[in-house]
Parts: sequence; C-alpha cells; structure tokens
Amino acid sequence: MAQWRSARQGADDAVRFSRTLLLMFIALSAVLIAADRTEDRVEAVTVFRAAFNDLSLPILEAAAQPLRGLYNIGPWWRRQIELAGEIRELRQEMSELRAWRDVALNYSEQMRRQQELLNLDPPMPRQRITAWAVTETGGPFVRTRLVGVGTDHGVAPGYPALNIYGVVGRTIDVGARSSRILLLTDLNSRVSVMADRSNARAMLVGDNTDFPRLDYLGRAPDLREGDRIVTSGDDNILPRGLPIGEAVLDRRGAWRVALYSSATPIDLIWIWPFTPVGAPADEAPPGLQLPAPPPEQAQDDTPAPVIGVSQDEPESGSESGEGR
Amino acid sequence: MRASLERNSTWPVLTAMALTLTLSLLAVAAPLRLPEGQGFPAPFFPLIALFVWSVRHPRFVPPWLIFIIGLFQDLLTGGPLGMWALAYLLAFAIARLRSTEPSAREFILLVARFSVMAGIATLVAWSAGSLSIGQPADPTSLVTEAVITLIVFPAFCWLFARKRERTTFS
Repeated sequence: MAQWRSARQGADDAVRFSRTLLLMFIALSAVLIAADRTEDRVEAVTVFRAAFNDLSLPILEAAAQPLRGLYNIGPWWRRQIELAGEIRELRQEMSELRAWRDVALNYSEQMRRQQELLNLDPPMPRQRITAWAVTETGGPFVRTRLVGVGTDHGVAPGYPALNIYGVVGRTIDVGARSSRILLLTDLNSRVSVMADRSNARAMLVGDNTDFPRLDYLGRAPDLREGDRIVTSGDDNILPRGLPIGEAVLDRRGAWRVALYSSATPIDLIWIWPFTPVGAPADEAPPGLQLPAPPPEQAQDDTPAPVIGVSQDEPESGSESGEGR
Repeated sequence: MRASLERNSTWPVLTAMALTLTLSLLAVAAPLRLPEGQGFPAPFFPLIALFVWSVRHPRFVPPWLIFIIGLFQDLLTGGPLGMWALAYLLAFAIARLRSTEPSAREFILLVARFSVMAGIATLVAWSAGSLSIGQPADPTSLVTEAVITLIVFPAFCWLFARKRERTTFS
C-alpha cells in the first residue's frame, strides 16, 4: 500500500507546470488588464462582462438567498427589542413626515396650476425598476453591485440607482438580465451636484473612500456643514434633485459628502429610467456625435418575479433639461 | 488494478475541487448586507482553495485553471479584468521556482510557502489594479484582506493535513 501510494505521489509530483502555458496565460492576463483600463476600455470587454453577469446571475442569486435568511436569524427577544426601537423611530418620523406631506401636496397643487396657466404638458408618470443586489464588492479598485435586472426589464446604461435614502450610483455593464451599479464611492464615479440651500455647484468625485469628495467648488463656495447635497442635473447624466447626502469637512478641510445611501445596506435598489436631454440639432456643433437615446422601454409588460415595477409620481428629473 | 483505482478516485476529487472552487468564488462576491464602509474584508478564498488542491493533487491544478479562477474572480467582483488571474499565476509561478514541493505533513513549510504566495498575489494585484485605474490605489483594504487570509489559512491547512494523514494510512 505504502509502495503504491509513493508511486502515485511520484506521478503527482512528476506533473510540472507547463512553462509555455504559464507564460501564455500571464501574457493573456496582461493583455486583458491593458484592454480593461478605465480611460480606454475596449467595447468587447464591456459586452463580455455583461454576458458573463447574465450567465452567473442565477447562481449568485441562489447564493444570496440563504444570506438574506441568515440575516433574520437571531435571538427572538433581541429581534423584538430591535423592532420596538424601529417602531418608535418610525412613529416619530411619520409625525414629522405628515407635515412635509402637506407641504408637498401644496406645492404639487401649485405646480399643476402653473402648468395649466403656462399650457405645459405634465410629464408622464415614471416607473421605477426594483432589484436586489446579488454581489457585494469593495476593495481598493472597484465599488460596484450586481443586480438582477437588465435590458429585458427596461434598464439601459447610465440610469440612476437609489435605495430608500438616496442615490447609490448608476448602471453600467447592462446585460439582458443583469446590470452592474457603479457606486458613487467608486473611483470612476463623477456626478454633478449642488447644495440644496445655496445652489452652490460642485462635482462629486468618488475616490474609493466612504465619503466622496466635492471638487470644482469655486473659490468661496456657499457651503455649510450639514447642507443637503442633491444632483444638479448639469451633467445630463443623472436627473436634477435626487438626494445624495450631507456636506461634511474632512480633517484636511476639504469638502466631502456623507452619503444618505450609506445609512442602510445597499440591498434593495430602485433603478429610475432617465433619458438625457440631447442638445437641439441646430445648436449642436458640426461633427458632434450626440449620445444615442436609450431604447424604448416596454415597462408596462415588465415581468417581475424577483423584481417589481411600481408607479411613481413624476419626478423633477423629467424636466431637468427644461429647468436649466 | 492501479489504473482503475486512480480512475475511480479521479471523479470524486474533481467534483470536490469544482465545489470548493465555486464556493470560494461565491464567498468573495456574496452580499453580506452590511452598510457601505462596514463591509467585512473577505480573505482570498480562491487562492486558499487553489493552494490546498495544488498541494493535494498538483496535476489537477494546471495554469489554465488558475487563470480561469482568477478571471472569474475579476468578473464576479467587477474588478479590472485579468488582475487576479495575473496575481495568482505569478504567485504560483514564483512559488514553484523551488525544486522540492513541501508535502502535506510539513505544516510550517506549507504556511510559509502560502504566506509568500499571498504576499506576491497582493503585490501583483495592487500593481495591476493601480495600473488599470491609472493611479496608485489605497492598499489598506487589500493588505487587510491579505492579513486576514494569513490568519485563517492555518486552520484550512491543519484540516487539510489531518485529512491527508488519515487517508494515507487507511
């Protein structure tokens, strides 16, 4: 037996790494890294990523389910205490929100009247696409989430993604049944924002930290700590007025944003269809290639086994081009 | 007799390998439902799995498998494509420069060799990732993951070595 085992061990050890193959795969990896550089990503890589996400989605969804279940397992009494605390907080929040609801209804009525006076067509009601995050990745290079909705559900690249508190990021690598959400904290994320109070404009730049920084603020920005930061819509990437977070100063005196979306796990995500407003054809410089509008969405018949599509009030983003 | 014995033992090994490698990949991408900034740094589970299998059955861990596992990790995590593939390939290539392979019973040697491999993988991943994003990345989270990998690895190694010993004398 010992003799047989040593013979088998010898056979195992005799198998050596093929140097040619090894060098070939090392070279291939280097080529892939070069092709996937942020500044000049090859289109085929994006398509390949989206196709892989579509294929791996069922396995990732299956793997995510037990983790969601585990989250709810724990001592019964601890869960009851947590629930009691949540109910107390929600009651307090609800009483405050009632006052805000009256204000909102008032404004809504005023806006409707003004639209009537100006003979404006009210924007069509928006639909949002609901999805669960199936992967969670952090680290120094990338901050993204994979969600189980894609072009089949009406998602197109660049759509804003929100959780219940605020903007999470926007869609990239959109496949037929999956999309990747580029978080606001990712190094490649750039969003034009403004302070709700003063309309001070800035660029929200992700730097793979939990507090993205505010760049291009100007010399004397009218900004205070705690100012509510919302999307400005100036970049024509995200609609105007979506909640982002609160302005905070870091140790070095630079402005950063404490994201509202960080208050809760980025698990349930809403994707808002948004069509950027193109420049008028006669004002566009000659030779300028305008971004192609996303494909027509057939959201009315969107199937929703894991996802849901819900009706919402029209949001200010729909007029982002007109308001500016 | 020997050929049939080997044939019979191949499929269970391949099945176990496929299962552990898949689980290790899922473990690095699974959603833990933690708020941003409170995420738990995941150890390099795929590297641990590849290393353990390469010690047990070197012939079942060829370069193309290491490449595929690294590539899958890049795709699942949305990281720069080829980054982990290159990191794992170089780590294995440098670790195999030594002529003699440590056996499963040489616990200290295995841990030492794996530590070197994890260090190389971290360095290569950081360099390749920084090259891909066009600026030096903050290495803190990557180093934290590497340290956690080194902390959890002896447990895997011990379990593995014990299993090997039992199968040897049965």
